[in-house]
Amino acid sequence: MDVRAILLIGGKPEASSEHFTGVPLAMLDLLGASLLNRVTHRMHQQGISSIAVISEYDQFPDRHLSHDLRWFKATNGQFWRFAEAVYNDFAQNGAELIVVLRLNSYITVDYEKLVQFHLDHHSRLTRVFDKQGEALDMFVISASRRNDAAFVFRNMLERFRVPPEVFFLDDNQNRLQTVADFRRLALESFTGKNGIEPQGEQIKPGVWVAPGARVHRDARIVAPAYIGAYARIRALAVVTRGSVVERNAVIDCGTVVENSTVLPFSRIGAGLDVSFSVVGFRHIYHLQREVAVEVADARLLDMASTSVTVRALTDMVNLALYMPQALLANLREKRREIPATLPEAIQATPPSLTAAGVEHQDRADRHFAPELMAARRYGNE
Amino acid sequence: METSRPVVVKRVPERVNLKEAREFLRAVEPILHSDRPQVVFDLSNVRQLDSAGVDMLLHCMSEAMKRDGDVKLAAPSDEAMVILELTRTGRLFEIYDTATDAVRSYSSFLPNVMRQFSAPQSATISFPGAGPKAAASKVEAAEKSESAA
Repeated sequence: MDVRAILLIGGKPEASSEHFTGVPLAMLDLLGASLLNRVTHRMHQQGISSIAVISEYDQFPDRHLSHDLRWFKATNGQFWRFAEAVYNDFAQNGAELIVVLRLNSYITVDYEKLVQFHLDHHSRLTRVFDKQGEALDMFVISASRRNDAAFVFRNMLERFRVPPEVFFLDDNQNRLQTVADFRRLALESFTGKNGIEPQGEQIKPGVWVAPGARVHRDARIVAPAYIGAYARIRALAVVTRGSVVERNAVIDCGTVVENSTVLPFSRIGAGLDVSFSVVGFRHIYHLQREVAVEVADARLLDMASTSVTVRALTDMVNLALYMPQALLANLREKRREIPATLPEAIQATPPSLTAAGVEHQDRADRHFAPELMAARRYGNE
Repeated sequence: METSRPVVVKRVPERVNLKEAREFLRAVEPILHSDRPQVVFDLSNVRQLDSAGVDMLLHCMSEAMKRDGDVKLAAPSDEAMVILELTRTGRLFEIYDTATDAVRSYSSFLPNVMRQFSAPQSATISFPGAGPKAAASKVEAAEKSESAA
């Protein structure tokens, strides 16, 4: 049987929260592969021959994404017209059933079972519900029922000409509507609550490392954690409390990544403290404060090119410039004058006391009560 | 204990990059070079803060402390607070919800400290927009990073 699929990314007014700095959450890597990639892979495995993606956004580079995926970029006004046109195209080209899924949640579906249910009930339209009875934006439509399909698309999957058959899933859906949902999904994946498996080898309990990742021997990875392909964790960095460092990301020396996700190609500077955040595309989204901050300073956050050639060239240029820059910096550095005899320097009156007109007294003349204690404040401590 | 010395409140501009930080520093330098300067930086307008801005805040604090003064932060915006936490500098400053609280803290500092020692639960320093959980996690994170180091 010829079953094809249409995946929708965006398209609804509430979809405005379903992205991180303009990239849909479904297209962001989550433990090594995007949800879009995981869904299409599962569909291919279960015999869905052709998949079209209709998105309001450009395709983000994903090396795992199937090459036979048809990608249509549609602006908001044309989104549902595009969906209808693709449906008609599939129907004309021999499809018998078409699965329509809007990627606003992650669900593990047995497509064979779903298709069989649709056929057994001689249904025109089947809608999928989760275990708790909550309706999902997922349908199976018979390809011959073009008018029914057109009505569904024109009403943004919310109204139907005929009541759809109801198919219940065995699991609950994992929502993917905010950045916090995206982060929660990563944490739940570590505990095996959803079907998302980290893409990589489990080098010790709860720590997955993908091929090509480089972790410095002085860096600490505390389980559960995930280090993506070709990611670099430099000396004295700490990755802890369910943190995810996706492919080609760099965590510089001494930085602590705690309960956070670092998106692909991000570079986090040295000596920073990244906690309860999702970091990427030169932005940091703080989950507790629910605020996204753009960081234009490359010393704090930076983004490497997605092109391998550009990254290699940049690394070569940086390496070539390192020695001359270090030499120049060394030459420019002002040498500190160190007093020949340290005790004299210590005994000298501090300049602040001299400026304030405080007379210097010999140490021997000072008398402190033995119970006197001096304390200096240190910020909030 | 009351102090008669003036407390200077300065509003930090919306963007604090290298250029803005230099200009701001030039404006506050005379204050920082006075005897025992008491300065409050109002960060409520800050929307973008980079490493130059953080560097400037630390420089101001160090200059003030050289002269037995202090720099306190008031009403930091979420954007400013995220960068201060990211760069681990938030814990170096006393941070208050409002500029008024920060100014008042200069005159009532000693009794507050004494109250803190006698009853730790009545600490007056707050973390704007975060709450006690976040404060606890900060301490935890600080301890963690120290142990990691």
